[in-house]
Amino acid sequence: MDRTEHVYSKAGNFNSFNTTNNYCYGAIADEHPEIMRWLSPLDPRRRHHDVRTDRLDGVGNWLLETSQFREWKSSEGGADEAVLFCYGDPAVGKTYLR
Amino acid sequence: MLTASNLSSLVIDSLCDEPREDGIAITMFYCDDFRDRQELTATNIMGAIVKQLAVRGEVLGHVQAAFQKAKMEVGGRGLRLPDMVRMLKQAIATLHQVFICIDALDECPPQHQLELLRSLKDILRESPRTRVFLTGRPQVEADITKCFADRLMVPISPKAHDITIYLEKKLEMDPEPVAMSDGLRAEILGIIPKEISETYAHPQPPFHTRSYVDLSSVDSSSFH
Repeated sequence: MDRTEHVYSKAGNFNSFNTTNNYCYGAIADEHPEIMRWLSPLDPRRRHHDVRTDRLDGVGNWLLETSQFREWKSSEGGADEAVLFCYGDPAVGKTYLR
Repeated sequence: MLTASNLSSLVIDSLCDEPREDGIAITMFYCDDFRDRQELTATNIMGAIVKQLAVRGEVLGHVQAAFQKAKMEVGGRGLRLPDMVRMLKQAIATLHQVFICIDALDECPPQHQLELLRSLKDILRESPRTRVFLTGRPQVEADITKCFADRLMVPISPKAHDITIYLEKKLEMDPEPVAMSDGLRAEILGIIPKEISETYAHPQPPFHTRSYVDLSSVDSSSFH
């Protein structure tokens, strides 16, 4: 049975690509609301949607070009480079510009 | 303009947009969603990650089986953190690689923050291909380093390019564009990005990684 897997995408909802025997998150939540509530009352989709709606294209792209991000993503370092921590005070620069 | 949450959403989107082989999943959680403040526990955060992996047929099967089992016991037993970690490990084991992005870790209550980090450590021990992306204020670095000695770190500070994009957008939305001349616009875009990016060029490093005055050469007898 061919189904479509949905993951978070640039469109803010879900992007889709074909796989086999996988289900859409929304469909899972609709079909098994009791199980979803049992797993967690939290659902990060709304927050992700809000944040990405406010984000300006191009801002922060420099992070994707850093050696740390590339090393982390490549998985070549195995467990040693499995964690990337980006630190800073909230809204760096925002207050300054208001 | 540039927030840790913005960076998290950018990382999530860039990972989602990459063409990749099957069996790779990207999951996320934002600890600064105040709608969920009361329920922000390590168990619930892990549960929210498992939920996102349950789109996979094989993961859903495990979850359904665990749910049915729990339902039979004491009229529907709730999940404890070790149960949730076990379930997440089981889900990750069915996949090639899982990315876990957790934003604003400092907004998580301290006891849950440490439990969450220890649980992630436990998961990475068994699944070293798993990648964990964390953002937070500098003060959470000590706990992160306690659990992940080899963590990679990047300071977040707005670059001149970020500020230019922000200002251009603001100027575009100016309700009184007639009051703006080309000269003033050029001046704003020329001076402000440079000045602000220089102000934030060297963000304060996490507390315990700062260098302190070397006291080794101080004669200890002078303290008596």
